[in-house]
Amino acid sequence: MISLRGVSLTYANGVRALDSVSLEIGKGDFVFLVGHSGTGKSSLLRMLYREIAPTQGEVIVDGIRVDTLRQSRIPALRRHLGIVFQDFKLLSEKTIWENVAFAMQVTGAHTKEIIRQVPRALDLVGLAHKSRMYPGELSGGEQQRAAIARALVNNPKILLCDEPTGNLDPQNTTEIMDLLGRINLKGTTIVVATHNQAVVDRMRRRVVRMEDGRIITDEERGYYYLGLGQGQILSG
Amino acid sequence: MRNAGTTILDWGKVRFFLGEVARSFTRNKGMQATAIGTVAVTVAMLGTFLFVREILTAAGGELLNQIEISVYLQNGVSIAQVDDLRTTIAHDERVAAVDFIPKKQGLQELRSRLKGQVDASILTENPLPDKLRVRARDPQDVAAIAAWIQTLPRIATVDYGQRIVQRLLQLGAVLHRVGLAVIAVFLFVAGVIIANTIRLTVFARRREIAIMQLVGATNLYIRAPFICEGLLDGLLGASIAVLVLVAAHVALWPRLLEALPFPQLASAGVDAPLLIVQLFIAGGAIGVIASWISVGRYLRT
Ligand SMILES: Nc1ncnc2c1ncn2[C@@H]1O[C@H](COP(=O)(O)OP(=O)(O)OP(=O)(O)O)[C@@H](O)[C@H]1O
Ligand SMILES: [Mg+2]
Repeated sequence: MISLRGVSLTYANGVRALDSVSLEIGKGDFVFLVGHSGTGKSSLLRMLYREIAPTQGEVIVDGIRVDTLRQSRIPALRRHLGIVFQDFKLLSEKTIWENVAFAMQVTGAHTKEIIRQVPRALDLVGLAHKSRMYPGELSGGEQQRAAIARALVNNPKILLCDEPTGNLDPQNTTEIMDLLGRINLKGTTIVVATHNQAVVDRMRRRVVRMEDGRIITDEERGYYYLGLGQGQILSG
Repeated sequence: MRNAGTTILDWGKVRFFLGEVARSFTRNKGMQATAIGTVAVTVAMLGTFLFVREILTAAGGELLNQIEISVYLQNGVSIAQVDDLRTTIAHDERVAAVDFIPKKQGLQELRSRLKGQVDASILTENPLPDKLRVRARDPQDVAAIAAWIQTLPRIATVDYGQRIVQRLLQLGAVLHRVGLAVIAVFLFVAGVIIANTIRLTVFARRREIAIMQLVGATNLYIRAPFICEGLLDGLLGASIAVLVLVAAHVALWPRLLEALPFPQLASAGVDAPLLIVQLFIAGGAIGVIASWISVGRYLRT
């Protein structure tokens, strides 16, 4: 479903954010991307939806060759993905309802369909009662959940989440991760970049660990810390 | 699959789109006013220019059509010889009409023309020769016809206001060429000003545009409301210009006609509905092109 082959990325200012990264993610996988801040997790995700193009290597998403994709084809690629951005990226002049609806409108969805799907998505993240408010009137956690609802509303085949629980309290975090787990059960491929140890250790999914723009480990049922569960740290 | 069955008009989409246009249009009223004002001034100047050009062309054409060639005959030409000349000249394809004006009639015409200005009774003897009055079918041929007639026998002089004819013909050609250039310059300047105005509104929304692109909006989808905004600016500007021009025409034109010594202008008509439609098209086109260009700058990711 997602495949990176020898991908390197150097930003215009000379920062080498990714260094010959290769990664295969199959259909229906649930993958955590972990690693220190500034290690290249967001950069890797940005390449998947072609906010940036790699300086070297091949990026293939859902059978589409993303690294050489023509400008005019980029919107179509993004419509097949659900993306939760680290900084939410909500439209500040639209209500929460409109923000979520917008992701459907750009796909050309019929208004009837939008009216059916938007409340459902907002309900899933527990924001139905705030749908008429503007992003500025919501707490950080609520904005994050609105961003998640927008990513889910098109029932994407692939869900890319950059720190989706960074602003959530433990209970909300658990609820959102359970939601992602259920969506994954229905066959959606999910990639989550996170610093949240509790989440990673509780879910016990595939963990891809990065350091200085490289992938250093890739475990099938991993923990946040290499080989260690939370309990082991506490008891040790 | 979601697109299946969307052949029925989706009013939700229409309403959303109009809402976007309205929002973008009312967002910055000051800038909108600038854009509309610019279009109005440009279109008003354009309209005045087109009007004057058309009036002058029409009046010039009329003047040219009135131009006649006066052919003065030598003294002592017989009636038969005059008839001969008339038929020869009238046979030429380029000639529309030939009239014979004998001395006496010429004198009467002169008297009535000079009435009140000069005491015509001082003319005790008729100084005028017999004359033929020749009209051309096409003003362009006047010079050639005159030259040809000059070569015929028993002709004293041929006169047709050479200078006027040449000037008018030149003027027509110059007006046509200069007109196109002036129009191009007008539209360009207005386009640049509107492009800058709209670029400011786009600039204020660049973050929003970037987000729209990230959730998969196509460039056309993002552009459409801005293009409509530009079109609206253009059409509103053009309406203001047209209103001003029509008012000015009604109020000033009759007085101007009285003040100007060119009676030909009065009869020279302008196709007003056509002109108005042209001005609306010009205004709308400037708005659309200018906004298209200024949004384009922010669509490159
Ligand atoms: N637009 C940019 N231009 C230049 N350098 C950038 C840009 N974005 C990120 N970087 C650099 O690339 C490196 C990787 O950044 P990235 O955002 O991918 O890290 P991250 O792993 O997502 O960190 P975090 O966990 O804090 O979100 C950093 O050193 C950062 O300074
Ligand atoms: Mg990041």
